[in-house]
Amino acid sequence: MALHDDALNVSRRAFLKTVSASSVAAGVIGVGESEAQTGPAPIGPGEVSVQLSIDGQARTLKVEPRVTLLDAMRERLNLTAQKRVCDRGSCGACTVLVDGKSAYACSILAIQMQGKSIRTVASLAQGTVLHPVQQAFCDHDGLMCGFCTPGFVMSAVALLESNPSPTPAQARAALDGNICRCGTYPRVLEAVLNTKGVRRG
Amino acid sequence: MADTPQVPEVNAPSRPQPHEKYPWPAEPTLVGKRIQRVDGPIKVTGQAKYSYDINRPGGLHGRILRSPHPHARIVAIDLSAASKAPGVKAVMAVLQPGAKVMFQGEEVAALAAATEEQADDALRLIKVQYEVLPHIATEALALREGAPQVFKDGNIKAGDTEEAGDLEAGFKAAAHTVLAGYATQVQTHVSLETHGCVCEWDGDKLTSWVSTQAVHGTREQFAKALDIPQANVRVITEYMGGGFGSKFGPDAQGIICAKLAKQAGAAVKLLLDRKDEHLASGNRPSSASKIKAGVSADGMLTAFDAETWGTGGAGAGSGFPLPYIYVFPNRRRKHRDIFTNAGPQRAMRAPGHPQGCFHTEMLMDELADKLRMDPLAFRIKNLPPEAPNAMWRKYFPIAAERFGWSKRHVTGDPTPGPIKRGMGCAANRWGGGGQGTKAHCEINPDGSVVMRCGTQDLGVGTKTIVAIITAETLGIPMELVRAEIGDSNYPFSGGSGGSTTAPGVSPAIRVTSGMALDALKAKVAPGLGVDAATLVASNGRIHVKGDPSKGLAWRDACKQLGMEPLAVDGQWERGLSASGTSGVQFAEVEVDIETGVSKVTRVTCVQDCGLIVDQLTAESQCIGGIIGGVNYALFEDRILDRVTGHMVNPNMEWYRIAGPSDIPTIDITLMNQPERGVIGIGEPPTISTAAAVANAVANAIGARIRSIPITPEKVITALAEREKTGGTL
Repeated sequence: MALHDDALNVSRRAFLKTVSASSVAAGVIGVGESEAQTGPAPIGPGEVSVQLSIDGQARTLKVEPRVTLLDAMRERLNLTAQKRVCDRGSCGACTVLVDGKSAYACSILAIQMQGKSIRTVASLAQGTVLHPVQQAFCDHDGLMCGFCTPGFVMSAVALLESNPSPTPAQARAALDGNICRCGTYPRVLEAVLNTKGVRRG
Repeated sequence: MADTPQVPEVNAPSRPQPHEKYPWPAEPTLVGKRIQRVDGPIKVTGQAKYSYDINRPGGLHGRILRSPHPHARIVAIDLSAASKAPGVKAVMAVLQPGAKVMFQGEEVAALAAATEEQADDALRLIKVQYEVLPHIATEALALREGAPQVFKDGNIKAGDTEEAGDLEAGFKAAAHTVLAGYATQVQTHVSLETHGCVCEWDGDKLTSWVSTQAVHGTREQFAKALDIPQANVRVITEYMGGGFGSKFGPDAQGIICAKLAKQAGAAVKLLLDRKDEHLASGNRPSSASKIKAGVSADGMLTAFDAETWGTGGAGAGSGFPLPYIYVFPNRRRKHRDIFTNAGPQRAMRAPGHPQGCFHTEMLMDELADKLRMDPLAFRIKNLPPEAPNAMWRKYFPIAAERFGWSKRHVTGDPTPGPIKRGMGCAANRWGGGGQGTKAHCEINPDGSVVMRCGTQDLGVGTKTIVAIITAETLGIPMELVRAEIGDSNYPFSGGSGGSTTAPGVSPAIRVTSGMALDALKAKVAPGLGVDAATLVASNGRIHVKGDPSKGLAWRDACKQLGMEPLAVDGQWERGLSASGTSGVQFAEVEVDIETGVSKVTRVTCVQDCGLIVDQLTAESQCIGGIIGGVNYALFEDRILDRVTGHMVNPNMEWYRIAGPSDIPTIDITLMNQPERGVIGIGEPPTISTAAAVANAVANAIGARIRSIPITPEKVITALAEREKTGGTL
């Protein structure tokens, strides 16, 4: 089954909707349709230089091509806001926004992210003033241990920037790619439905 | 009645004499209110540094090679190729030739390398020769005739028989008997932050950032295993991503991490991956029963005779309390631990209780059905007498009213169409007392306050209650208080397990901040020309009781300390906490009889926990416990392949956990008992959800599924069975 280049750069969740499970592995390895025809230039296996834009800051680092965006951020750049939990695209704790769309950072490679704008939860607050979504999570106690929280907040931001007044069903659907073990879901949902003042992205 | 009390805690002194010097305030300004957790902002901004987030300068990454076999003998381990691999700085064998591995995922060897990728590559170069031995994957295989005896003393360990009353007389008095068997699955903790730590040596001193529920206990275990003084070990856990009973020490990976760091002369980070977490970091044991029980014509329980068993994996126990809560005057219960080649069990939120509750509450519904009696009325008839720690007689009707129990159909939803609705209920109890906590309080000349306590916050809100109680006692806003916890350099507090943290920590904080306030009062009293004993602290002032004008603003009072902060040490004292909770839960489900899919639509919870310190976070604890119970009822299951003994779902998609769309509407009523002092709330609310859900499913479809998780397959099978026999329950 053919994959478009675009599919490689959005979340695993998004392309699971459009491709069969057997294609996912190919997608993660990164063989696009057009490349498959022309033959891609080999990259790696050694370290390669990668330029990333994370939270508005340009970052240059050397990583092996197999390094995920999440690991590049956490272990190479010490940007630890997004968490590693399942490391295979099922729990959402690593959710970031790539050009405004939510994506699992554990399931995309750092080298795929060149030229993209990556946003993490660390970019949202202005000094000590929390982003409306973050404030709502605090007001409604939409967090406990907090390990899933950065991922939930980013999924909520992605939702509210495209749909500032979601219905409960829309909110649940938008958050369904995130798992919480402490059981904060009802209050996360309350927080998202009561967030005011998110501007369309 | 029974010779020995079935519920030992019931009617024990459960209301303390109030503390003489620092009793809980009659009209609190903060305690019991809806207070946001103090670490909310740092967590929602991603700034909170969990152990998993600690990156030390020059730090290495540790990896553990684990046995792929559930039972094998190590013949040889060759580390030479791995030790020469790029980036590798330390390599070690965990087991020596001749040693046995008893489960898939047991630690065999380990190494540390500069990057995670190098560590992964090098791990594949370690050559281990195994002599594969016969293994036992399931309880049924262990019990089979001629099963290989893989454990030293056999695959079965029989426990003591618990007996009370006269069983024969009990069955003679019975008008109806039920003979049934129930079962619960193995469940893993799935803390989102996996087990592990970062270890760094400075000479012979070790600092370790550990994801642990016990900073002091972990320090002690590090010292013992590494043969160094406890004084040389510092354990830090400022934030942690859940533990649920599974994180009480450095564990094998912590000791390995410390040894690798020592060998490499660099910090090593070693957090488990998700698969290893499922295999080797604990689980809730399975449980199974065969029960015969009798009930008299007027609905009184007469007899209970049970054989039970379960597996806690390789060599570990599987006990659970049975019967649960309800009074069976004549009873006998025999339990057997079945050993299997699987990761050993560990305490998991309310260890044993969800199992005991499930078996008993399923049985209660079946007995009520025999009597054609309302299961709620039947339960109330057979409860122990009411006591402060045994409030079910009061709570059941309150919850029933809120839930709408009167709308329950007798059995099998008669509504046409594929969606069938049903209702069920269950009760819970827990101890939840605590003690042995020390604290240190400093009041600074600028008015800021530090409260230090070597407890830890698993995500439940411990740091928040430390700040609440300090601010309440000093009569100041919480913003002036800095609560510092999660460090073994702070005064001792015990591990956070068994709902002991709030009742252990809260009294220590109350006493310590009370002592600090007394010291400050003594400083300012002469200037005010009054006796210090007449002073109180409220609304940010220290003033004569009943006359706020005769006193000082908090900051002005603190200025009188001059250059020297005031510092006091205090500890847990009697009279501010108690033990013993009770609660009830009701669940409503919708079952699609065409697909077999069950959905929990509503849960009503009435629960007490003594004096509520923070209404907001206590409610969150209940919500979280209930969702854990929904997972237990419908989704979670650690599945081992019968042939290979391998876990087939060591991840987070096939090991199923509820997501946002699976969550019921949850109604929490917390019953405040200020006169009892603080009691823990961690365990109780997760105990009875699964039992209530399973009873609701039976009520919906008119067929009883006697084991959890209630999967679509079990629903379809139960309905087919009912069709065949032509009956309902």
